Amino acid sequence: MTVPVLNATNVTKSLGGTPIIGGLTLSAEQGEFISVVGPSGCGKTTLLTCLSGLRNVDAGEVSFEGQKLDGPPDGMALIFQDYSRSLLPWRRNVDNVLFGMRRMTGVSAQEKRAKAMEMLAAVGLSKFETHFPWQVSGGMQQRVAIARALAARPHLLLLDEPLAAVDAQTRADIQDLLLSLARQFQKTCLLVTHDVDEAIYMADRVIVLSNRPTHVIADLQVPLPKPRDQIATRSEPEFLRLREKVLTLIRSMRTAA
Amino acid sequence: MRRLNVPAIVLGLLLLGAWELAARAGQNSFFPPFSTVLAALWANGGVIAAQIVDTLRRAAIGLAIAVAVMVPFGALIGRVRFLGDIFEPLVNMLRPIPPPAVAPIALLFAGTGDAGKIAMIVYTCAFPILIGAIDGVRANHPMLTNVGRSLRLSRLEIMAFIDLPAAMPIIMTGIRLAVAAALLVSVIAEMLLTTNGIGVYLLRSQENFRIADGLAGVVAIAVVGFLVNDLFLRLDRRLLAWHYATTGGAEGQG
Repeated sequence: MTVPVLNATNVTKSLGGTPIIGGLTLSAEQGEFISVVGPSGCGKTTLLTCLSGLRNVDAGEVSFEGQKLDGPPDGMALIFQDYSRSLLPWRRNVDNVLFGMRRMTGVSAQEKRAKAMEMLAAVGLSKFETHFPWQVSGGMQQRVAIARALAARPHLLLLDEPLAAVDAQTRADIQDLLLSLARQFQKTCLLVTHDVDEAIYMADRVIVLSNRPTHVIADLQVPLPKPRDQIATRSEPEFLRLREKVLTLIRSMRTAA
Repeated sequence: MRRLNVPAIVLGLLLLGAWELAARAGQNSFFPPFSTVLAALWANGGVIAAQIVDTLRRAAIGLAIAVAVMVPFGALIGRVRFLGDIFEPLVNMLRPIPPPAVAPIALLFAGTGDAGKIAMIVYTCAFPILIGAIDGVRANHPMLTNVGRSLRLSRLEIMAFIDLPAAMPIIMTGIRLAVAAALLVSVIAEMLLTTNGIGVYLLRSQENFRIADGLAGVVAIAVVGFLVNDLFLRLDRRLLAWHYATTGGAEGQG
């Protein structure tokens, strides 16, 4: 068996004395797109900071490509929910993407610049390289953040509710963009979201979390055909069956809480 | 080009007119009318300009030293708790000491030449800049640090490329306070540690009862002070265009 890209075993984490994560185990195989959903306030964001190495875990272990995590590793990129804070407003879009490549070695400045331009083109922002983030829309800012994350050629993309703050149409566009980029660049992705429809639409596998202290209560395969289609996929009987199942699970926890 | 601020200009002219009329009515040789002061400014223009250049030069050097030292120092104090615990009480203790009170010490250690005066200016400028830098980096959203860490930057890189630029709006406010103080203290330092500069010119005019000449110097300082402040205001609007654009501040992308 190959080593999973990301592996979390029996992870627990408390913040300020409150247990947030209680014995959580999950793993992501090469090339998989995994969605993680759970009831509001179940500790999804805390989980992501632990999986990304931004926070140490209290017990258990997180490993990335077989290496135990101790801080953010090489080869992993994070996309944050709050794009307006994750981009540096005093740098132009292309310079923000370049900023994501500071730690890349063995690549010349020219190659980096070319790569930054290429990534901005890949997210559909060819004409906005020299704009500042605050001169473009929220959806475009999140595209810049995606370009920055991809520019450093990570093996794993962690996405923390990246589309929670954009309007519905933009959300659908960026969902499809993320799916095609993940496919094109063969990335392993882990998307944390509170949107059940989005979780199923995007993923090969949906992981459902419990209330705090959170752990995995369901791990569901999504056998929907690819490439996904906003209209066709969402009306597949299998999509609706999964949707009902996940929503029921989450509702049962809301009443239990 | 900015539009002329007509009401402010009208107010200025009214005040100068009132000065002129009051002085002419009073007929007091210690209170010359504005027209006499203007004539004195014209007559002494060369001397005043030369003195002001000296005053400005020292103010600029003092300000530059204070910025170069205090911005990184403040960022360190603001970010590293251990350093904050050590230095903040000291800063708060030194801060209320008025600049003229340090003049004797400056005189003792740095002499009456440029060094003593520049030392006084650095001392005065240090506090608003230092406090701006400390508060500035502390006001930064913690998420910014996470962005830097997730890009695997070192602490120093996060400070230089994320913390400091993000804190610039607050640091710039401190710097603009320091600019005004630098000019003020540059003049005061000259009056206390006499050698040259516009402060000395004022002192000499006063001692020789050349009231109009002295007032001409004051008017010159006022004009220069206004221009310097305006320069920094423009600099602020330009450097921090991103800040004013995202917070909807005055003049937008100016």
